[in-house]
Order: sequence, then C-alpha cells, then structure tokens
Amino acid sequence: MTPDIANMLAFGVLALASIASAIGVIAFKNAVHSALSLILTLFFVAMFYLQLGAMFIAVVQILIYAGAIMVLFLFVVTMLSPDTQEMEKNRLSWQRYAGILLGIVLVGALSYLIYSQVSSGSIMQTQHESLQQVVQKQGDIQAFGLALFHGFAFPFEVTSLLIVVAIIGALVFGRRSS
Amino acid sequence: MPAVVNLPPLSAYLVVSAILFTIGVLGVIIRRNPLIVFMSIELMLNAVNLSFLAFSRFLDSADGQMFVFVVLTVAAAEVVVGLAIIVTIFRTRRNIDVDEMNMLRG
Repeated sequence: MTPDIANMLAFGVLALASIASAIGVIAFKNAVHSALSLILTLFFVAMFYLQLGAMFIAVVQILIYAGAIMVLFLFVVTMLSPDTQEMEKNRLSWQRYAGILLGIVLVGALSYLIYSQVSSGSIMQTQHESLQQVVQKQGDIQAFGLALFHGFAFPFEVTSLLIVVAIIGALVFGRRSS
Repeated sequence: MPAVVNLPPLSAYLVVSAILFTIGVLGVIIRRNPLIVFMSIELMLNAVNLSFLAFSRFLDSADGQMFVFVVLTVAAAEVVVGLAIIVTIFRTRRNIDVDEMNMLRG
C-alpha cells in the first residue's frame, strides 16, 4: 500500500517537470519555443505512462507525438513565422488576468472533485480479467493486442475510416484552387 | 478500490492531470496565436490520456489503454486537418490572429 521512495521521487520530479514545461508552452512568446516546450512535456508525460506500466502507449506517444505531430507543428510554425512576431499586440489586457483566475478556479474544482470521489471509494473495479495477470502471463504488448482486438475491434476499424477522412480533408485544403 | 503497491495514490496522478488540463485551457483562453492554441489542445488531450492510464493501472483493466490509443489517433487526425486549415487561412489572409478570424468564407 505504501509507495516506495523511488517511485515517489520519480513522480515528484516528473510532475514538476511536466507542469513547468507545460507552462512554458503557453508562456513563451516565440511559437518555436512553445513547440519545443511541448515536445518536452510530451516526453515527461510518456515517462508517466512508463511508470504506470503502459509501455506500448509510451513508445507510441514518443513516436507519434514527439516524432510525427511535432515535426508537422514545427514545419507549419516556421512556414508562418514572419507574422508571429507582431501578433499578440491588441489583446484585451484584462483577459489574461481573468483567464488565470478562471484557471485557478478550474484546477480547484477539479481537485475537489477528484479528492471527494476517490476518497469516497465510488470508483468501481471493472469486471474484466485482471490486466496485471494477463501482463504477467503473456507480456505487455500481447496484453494490449488481446484487449484491442477482442473488445475494441470495431473502434479500431472506425479509426481507420477517421484517418482516411483526415487525409482527404488535408488534401482538399492543401489543393491550390485552379 | 484495489491498492496498487509501490505507486503514488491515484488522486496524485489525477491532480497532475487536472493541472496539465487547466494549463491547456488557459492557453486556449489567453493566447492569440492559433498554433499555440492548437498546442494547448494537444496538452489537454495528453492530460486526459494521463488520467485514462492512471485509471487503467489502478482499476487493473486494459480498457483505459484502448481509449488512449483511440485518442492518440484522433489527435493525429485533428492536427492534420487543423494545421491544413491554418495554412489555408494564412494563404488567403496573410494573418493568423484568432481575433481576426470571424468569417467562414475567404
């Protein structure tokens, strides 16, 4: 029941680092710096995934997010960069403070909900086979694949449709009107 | 709720997830650069993924990992279409301030 000291330490360091780099995403003026800070945040969150035992998801997170998506982001940021310097001028000045106030209210409300729900024990154990037993028996990736293709085969197929629609959408937007 | 040995409590992960989500919300509210707004949306998606995986671990079920898998795919599709829209807007208007975008037609 009691967490050991190494896990607590890793959790604390990861929590501080991920929150600090996440603040960097919205605080940097330059969009390239924000993108790099977001890559750092994604790495830290992937480390959280590793700590939670989701190895496949952690690897996919680094490959897809830090690899593919962020390269796309950086590409677009550098493509649109000349105008980004002179932006952020004529915003309403009270908006930032109102936003920070609302953020504090939101994080307080979420924390209150989490503590009241988790401590009241209203979270129920699911009825499926124990994940840890499957992982022990067959390995991490095997457990993931079994769960994906047994219980979630239909969402998996719908995902492919979504990707096709996204590709067609990007092609339509990228086409030069002739 | 089953106790998971050696890890910090579930609520600790959920609070980190809530803080990351709130930072994402703040980014959407405060910033005017649509690229940074997009990055904040990615941050929110990641925060939700973190809470999904924490629940998956602490409830000892693989369902949370499936949800995260689908969310990752949706995020990739969303980024592709969203960035294509931003590039198109930049091409037609030479300006990408979200306050200036108030028309659906070019």
